[in-house]
Amino acid sequence: MDRDLLRQSLGCHGPSLLSLLRSEQQDNPHFRGLLGPASDTARGAPPLQARKERRGDNIEIQKFISRKADLLFALSWKQNVPTVSEINEENEDYYAVMPPLEQFMDVPSVDRRELFFRDVERGDVVIGRISSIREFGFFMVLICLGSGIIRDISHLEITALCPLRDVPSHSNHGDPLSYYQTGDLIRAGIKDIDRYHEKLVVSLYSSSLPPHLSDMKLGVISSEDLPLHYRRSVELNSNSLESYENVMQHSMGFMNPGVVEFLLGKLGISESNPPSLMRGLQRTNFSEEDFAFMLRKKQSASWALKCVKIGVDYFKVGRHVDAMNEYNKALEIDKQNVEALVARGALYATKGSLNKAIEDFEVALEACPTHRNARKYLCQTLVERGGQLEEEEKLLNAESYYKKALALDETFKEAEDALSKLHRHMQVILYFPLNNY
Amino acid sequence: MEAPESGAEAEEVRKEGQLASEAKVHFKVTRFIMEAGVKLGMQSIPIATACTIYHKFFCETKLDAYDPYLIAMSAIYLAGKVEEQHLRTRDIINVSHRYLNPKSEPLELDSWFWELRDSIVQCELLMLRVLHFRVSFQHPHKYLLHYLISLKNWMNRHSWERTPVSLAAWALLRDSYHGALCLQYPAQHIAVAVLYLALQCYGVEVPADSEAEKPWWQVFSEDLTKPVIDNIVSDLIQIYTMDTEIP
Repeated sequence: MDRDLLRQSLGCHGPSLLSLLRSEQQDNPHFRGLLGPASDTARGAPPLQARKERRGDNIEIQKFISRKADLLFALSWKQNVPTVSEINEENEDYYAVMPPLEQFMDVPSVDRRELFFRDVERGDVVIGRISSIREFGFFMVLICLGSGIIRDISHLEITALCPLRDVPSHSNHGDPLSYYQTGDLIRAGIKDIDRYHEKLVVSLYSSSLPPHLSDMKLGVISSEDLPLHYRRSVELNSNSLESYENVMQHSMGFMNPGVVEFLLGKLGISESNPPSLMRGLQRTNFSEEDFAFMLRKKQSASWALKCVKIGVDYFKVGRHVDAMNEYNKALEIDKQNVEALVARGALYATKGSLNKAIEDFEVALEACPTHRNARKYLCQTLVERGGQLEEEEKLLNAESYYKKALALDETFKEAEDALSKLHRHMQVILYFPLNNY
Repeated sequence: MEAPESGAEAEEVRKEGQLASEAKVHFKVTRFIMEAGVKLGMQSIPIATACTIYHKFFCETKLDAYDPYLIAMSAIYLAGKVEEQHLRTRDIINVSHRYLNPKSEPLELDSWFWELRDSIVQCELLMLRVLHFRVSFQHPHKYLLHYLISLKNWMNRHSWERTPVSLAAWALLRDSYHGALCLQYPAQHIAVAVLYLALQCYGVEVPADSEAEKPWWQVFSEDLTKPVIDNIVSDLIQIYTMDTEIP
């Protein structure tokens, strides 16, 4: 169980949740260490004061949490699926890219500022305008973020310093800073953060960025490079009565038929191993044997076998064409059906189509290397074919067939005999070369 | 059994009892749809459509007039077509048969099989007519996913990473189709409510929610009110209680 998650939930709901958990999960060994006996509440741990000391209807939710706690706080929940790379691909065709949530909520600036400095990390990409250039570097006022998290900071007047040593030079000599002017739109990576003093240091070198963002171009950018969420944010500012839902529904990406699939990938939720809080629907309880794919496979094999049996009966009474039809039918139902392949191979061999027979036997043997008849018939047919080739004086070819048969079954006397006979034949030829004049 | 009451009261009690037992049947059968859906490799939206079709059908008709499992199988087949994830009747029949007859041998390609297949196809047409060919729905899923992305950007990223809010909300939404919430509330409201419940489960506070002009859930749906959220959450929790009652 995840202690931190449990603690967080208990911290929110207070002692009533704790006692509910104790009674619901008392048989669960994973919880024993975490909840402690009833007498333990005063010991060491901070007193559980519910953050929300409001409504009694919260009790219903708490009961739910306590009943489902073993599922909710299980460690296995977090490994559902890794999120698709964090590159904030704001391609507006895939989903509705929205302005930051806090803009709609109308969160006071002081809180936005505080949360920005709490949450920003080294390696985040920021975008802003140069406000002043000094000898030691330049200052920029941030207007938005370019990766990681998305925040509404354009009106917060947050400045960052880009020191001289973090400005790549654009020519072999001269001051790297001379390339820049106040008002330039700059994209930079955060190199250092002083959260307490609210100071930021940025860099224009890609080395300041995490590996998956190393292709991002830092330095001067144009207004076309501004992220979509920022442009939407600006639009929202000029039309502050627009609702979240309207912005979302008017966005092209919202209509993308693949939007659900795309966002599931972004959020790391799997469709093949879907989460559920119903006990009966836990995927681990399902057996692979009951899945459509497996059932179909078993069923196809069974149906194919029926056709093969009918085919063999036809074969026994000499109705070869009907037999072939049944075998072909079987192979249509179940392409790799070993019995059908062996039966058809035998039929081909009987009719003299040795190469086709060999092909079928080989496929059968590959699918089921332990199939005795497949091996036996293949050996026999290889030797037979070898014999034909020998008669056509294609001696080396014949030899390879005999050798192949022996490789499959080293005890196959006929192959051994045929091979020795062939070798004697070949020696005779070598010994008495043909006259070529 | 209770002592007999006056005529009208007894009738009420009888009706309530019937509704309760019907709800249990629907729970069982929608459970079948969800489980079959996973085994058929269906995605969340087609499964949701199948359940919605099923619920809607039995709003228009009586439970004793039709075999609910046949209705469910046809609903799955129909939903596959509607949501562009076409399923073969053979697979639906195989999975359903195995579900209802565990460990049984695979079905033979005999007359019974073909009759069952025909039943599904005919049932599909019947259902389309009962539902006036309105079988395409706005599901909460799309909304929920966008809300989650917006929330994810506002939260501290480490906090988000270690708290499976997305998974819990998605699970709650999928599970909700055991009941007929999809027919009683608009998609956006359900999406917000499951997100609300997921946040509650983990004790997550949306940053600066109390300092903001508008709470986060109001932002996502302007016409939503707190009592409605509470109702949906309550109904959803109620659905889960049936899980333990059905063997």
